[in-house]
Amino acid sequence: MVRGASLPPVSLLTLTGTLTSSSHHFLLLLSDSALPLGSFAFSSGLESYLAHTRPKSSFPAFLNFSLSSYASTTLPFVLAAHRKPIDLIELDDTLDAAIMCTVGRRASVAQGRALLSIWDRSFSSALPAGASAAAVAALKDFTVLLRATSSNITTGLPTASAHLGPLFGAIAGILGISLRQAAYVFMLSHVKALLSAAVRASMFGPYHAQKMLASVEIQEGILKVIEQEWNTNIEDAGQSVPVMDLWIGRHEMLYSRIFN
Amino acid sequence: MTSPFPVSSSAPGEGQIVVEILPHGISALSKITFQYPLKLISPSPAAGQKSVLVFLLTYGGGLVGGDQVHLTIDVKPDGKLSIVTQGHTKIFKSPTRDVITKQRLHVTLQDNAALCLLPDPVQPFEGSVYQQSQTFTLVNTASLCLLDWVSAGRTARGEDWDLSTWSGRNEVWALAEPGGKPRLLLRDNVILAGDLEDSKDKGLRKKMQQMGIFGTLVLRGPLVEGLAAFILNEFATLPRIGARDFRSQDKMNEDSGITLSLDEKWRQTRLAQEKADTVLWSAARVRGCTVVKFGARTVEGGRVFIGSLIKQEGSISQIFGEDSILCIR
Repeated sequence: MVRGASLPPVSLLTLTGTLTSSSHHFLLLLSDSALPLGSFAFSSGLESYLAHTRPKSSFPAFLNFSLSSYASTTLPFVLAAHRKPIDLIELDDTLDAAIMCTVGRRASVAQGRALLSIWDRSFSSALPAGASAAAVAALKDFTVLLRATSSNITTGLPTASAHLGPLFGAIAGILGISLRQAAYVFMLSHVKALLSAAVRASMFGPYHAQKMLASVEIQEGILKVIEQEWNTNIEDAGQSVPVMDLWIGRHEMLYSRIFN
Repeated sequence: MTSPFPVSSSAPGEGQIVVEILPHGISALSKITFQYPLKLISPSPAAGQKSVLVFLLTYGGGLVGGDQVHLTIDVKPDGKLSIVTQGHTKIFKSPTRDVITKQRLHVTLQDNAALCLLPDPVQPFEGSVYQQSQTFTLVNTASLCLLDWVSAGRTARGEDWDLSTWSGRNEVWALAEPGGKPRLLLRDNVILAGDLEDSKDKGLRKKMQQMGIFGTLVLRGPLVEGLAAFILNEFATLPRIGARDFRSQDKMNEDSGITLSLDEKWRQTRLAQEKADTVLWSAARVRGCTVVKFGARTVEGGRVFIGSLIKQEGSISQIFGEDSILCIR
């Protein structure tokens, strides 16, 4: 009898859960680069990194830093929102309190609002049959809160910001995507956006970008950070690469910029 | 036979500070307690002192693996407190990663109260395991100036981020009214994961990008608004990266003949120092607080940079007294 090929280290594409073919469909939609999140407008600090480290810039090094940094700051919120979507408003506010610079906040909120818009206009009418009513209601409450007030006059604090991380986790959960899949897609999308930014910044061409994307290093890198953050409480989420805050914070100091 | 003595309520590393305003308008300590390995000393109050000065110390200048320090501070209405250190807080190595050295600080600032916490950097030695958490709860009229910075270790011995783990958390909570529910304004967590003993790849060192010091300055409240606005303005006027000088030679000669104002001279000196010491910094308003992040190649470079900003603007020493900026002068 011929032996079958061995399973990948973590069988991410096993379709667990009650919602199978529909969740597979949404998994493909959420991981599609054509999803109109507007991620193309942000370079996640790459442009600033290049300006600061020229001519000794190294994309593989930056990719590692970015993977580590994005996972430690944001992944715990994705996981928490997937596990408990009714906490969405609180998670959004807590993540807002943990973002130290305006550029990073802008990128997160712009993509978050775009995702909420996609949910509202495109996905909410095609809900899978077993979708959690409580989670859908939590998302609706969040949208209402977001539209109602832009900022509390007395405290100057936003009541809701619509950061990408928690929204992604909550929406992925409603669409039947498993926690592991949601985490993987979230991190992979970040890597794809970074590679796309590097191509547009003329660091290398699209074939090289695909080679990096397909590489074992990336696959293992993503799995490693997911394992690291799997049990991290949101109170313990934080910056694992301090210099990233400096690069992202200084993005607007660049004389000419391609990215926002 | 039961002991006639009351049960001891002290615990190792625990300390408490309560600051109150005296009838003639001077801040004073109404309570100051501490137990080994924490030590607090405060000079006798002087007649015109603007704030109470407390030195936050450890025995031997550092914390040994497993030491736990827990300090609670309460500044009553109109009180002012400055906290400084006598040198870097050294974190000695732990035998294993499970032996965690911890410092926790809980601060409550009441109506018009103010705290200035400008200590020396923490210096984690090779193999040290350290967790720090600082929580500040402020009413709307209270003010806070907080500096939290960490160095690469004993660089003279060749240490370069050889710590085992280092994590620092700073939380600022706003209390709308006393007894109400506090709202989280800011949670700044920095997590430095050191490399495993057997690993050859110096991952953390690479992540720190040749910085010898990394720090965060947090400002919140009416008394420090002047400094916050000043720093944000300096950040906004930093020369653009990649900008080219398109002036003709004649124009350049003309411009160099212009006498600069004192402020401009200071700015040029500071920018030159930033370049020489590879200082990277950014400043932003975050939910009612102003956060400054900075890194420099050397500890001295970082100290000169942050000290220069605070001294030039001048309000911290005006409000809290000259001694409040002891560690960054």
